Amino acid sequence: MVVITTKKPTEEVIEALENYKIKKLAIVSCGTCAALCQTGGTEGAKEWNDLLIEKGYEITAVIVSEDVCDNRVMKKDLRKIDDEIQESDAILTASCGLGAQSIVKVLENKYPEKPVLVSNNTKFIGMTERIGRFYMRCRACGDCYLNYTGGICPIATCAKGLMNGPCGGMVDGKCEVGNYEKDCGWVLIFNRLKAIDRLDLFSRLRDARDWSESGHQQEVVFR
Amino acid sequence: MTERKVYSKLGEALAKGEFILTGELEPEKTCDLSHTIQEAKDMAPYVIAANVTDSPLGIVTINSMAASHIIQKEANLEVIWQLTVRDVNKLGIAGMIMGGHALGLRNILSLTGDHTALGDMSESKPVFDLDSATLVKLVREMVDTGAINGHEIKHPPTLHVGAAANPNAEPMEAEILKIGRKAEAGCEFIQTQVVYDLDRTIEFLTEIKKYKVPLLLGIFPMKSYGMAKGFDTFVPGVSVPKNILAKWKGIKTDYSTDKKMQKEAYDQANYEFFKPFITELRKKNLLAGIHCMAVHYPRIFPKLMEIIKS
Ligand code: SF4
Ligand code: SF4
Repeated sequence: MVVITTKKPTEEVIEALENYKIKKLAIVSCGTCAALCQTGGTEGAKEWNDLLIEKGYEITAVIVSEDVCDNRVMKKDLRKIDDEIQESDAILTASCGLGAQSIVKVLENKYPEKPVLVSNNTKFIGMTERIGRFYMRCRACGDCYLNYTGGICPIATCAKGLMNGPCGGMVDGKCEVGNYEKDCGWVLIFNRLKAIDRLDLFSRLRDARDWSESGHQQEVVFR
Repeated sequence: MTERKVYSKLGEALAKGEFILTGELEPEKTCDLSHTIQEAKDMAPYVIAANVTDSPLGIVTINSMAASHIIQKEANLEVIWQLTVRDVNKLGIAGMIMGGHALGLRNILSLTGDHTALGDMSESKPVFDLDSATLVKLVREMVDTGAINGHEIKHPPTLHVGAAANPNAEPMEAEILKIGRKAEAGCEFIQTQVVYDLDRTIEFLTEIKKYKVPLLLGIFPMKSYGMAKGFDTFVPGVSVPKNILAKWKGIKTDYSTDKKMQKEAYDQANYEFFKPFITELRKKNLLAGIHCMAVHYPRIFPKLMEIIKS
């Protein structure tokens, strides 16, 4: 599983730095998901470092962390560059949105005044076909239907996230969204259930999704 | 099966098994419905009810519940209120169902709706909390049990609910099984997408007959060659047969100097195409009626009535 990110346009990031009146900053890059997406990792960190130096910014530290989104790892890694953080106006992350928030959380007591900024857009939880080809195949809905849909997710592969497709927008197995170029998720489900001889599951009328638990903040806390 | 309750003229005709004709009205991006009301008045003598569309193609128009109410009142024509699940969540739709009833609406056509990404406000959030089958189920729950989630509705709505089907869909088996779900949800009538292919239509309708839902066949009489060509080009998944396009093109050129004759020729050509088509399906006992989707072509209704009555 990878949290898929893409780079924000450079101008947008620079604008944010200017908006916060940042002169000196530390860069924290993710060595896992963002590295795979080429929006972080060692290369991403170096890219931002070089670019920002060229634009006249002072870079106090650059670290690549394996688990930016894990508060424990971040605590440990940031402790190593505590002096540099102290003299920085802000921290720029080359990770997903979780990474940035993990840093906010870890620094909230010691450096509540330091802004943490993002250089990436977080897109989705993705399946990797190969580097550079990532597909949204799960939206973390909280109540997995895959046992009833042949292992293909109706929420992520149907453009409307329907529980009872295909809709009238399907033409020859393709979806109305995106110019009939993408497969209709519900036809994929149909084909798959047919292949495993479970069209009885396809025929079933499914209830609308229950949002009572998933329509607001989520947490899993078991100890 | 319990006895079918009747809440509207459409419901009554379906219960009696009368062969019926329904029309279609497409309100636009406007707050003034006078054109649509006029069109509704023109078709009123022929149709039992007319659909009022809900921002088709995701292009925003006046709200279909408001338009349905106004048209029904001003044109004195019963409407089939098209309600998509695209724009409002389940809570909102439940409220609209009560509101629609209070405004005098008695028929709903449950639709998924074209995705917001296709239309002219693509920045809008696509809701799709329900789908076309679960909306049918919700209406039936509210009407038949007088409650939502077990909570009583003081004065419950009484409306009929129908759904759409697409005989052109490929794979057809997926579409057929989907109709099964809509039937299970309590769908009371079906209106189909426009069809031109008789063999395919026969195959599809024969398959879905087992679900025992009265079916209104969607047809699109073409007012002109431009209309036929446009429909063929712009409506995905439906193609107008080549021989029809050629015939319509012929009418356009042959009568280019006499518009009156041209109109008559188009009307006659529609009559000649649809008469055997409809007659064949009726003979096979596959239809409860016809749903004519040609908007701005009320002149064709007397001809369609001729077909229906023959
Ligand atoms: S149903 Fe789809 S979105 Fe929900 S958990 Fe399963 S794969 Fe993820
Ligand atoms: S065409 Fe298929 S994938 Fe696209 S919205 Fe309809 S059911 Fe979903």
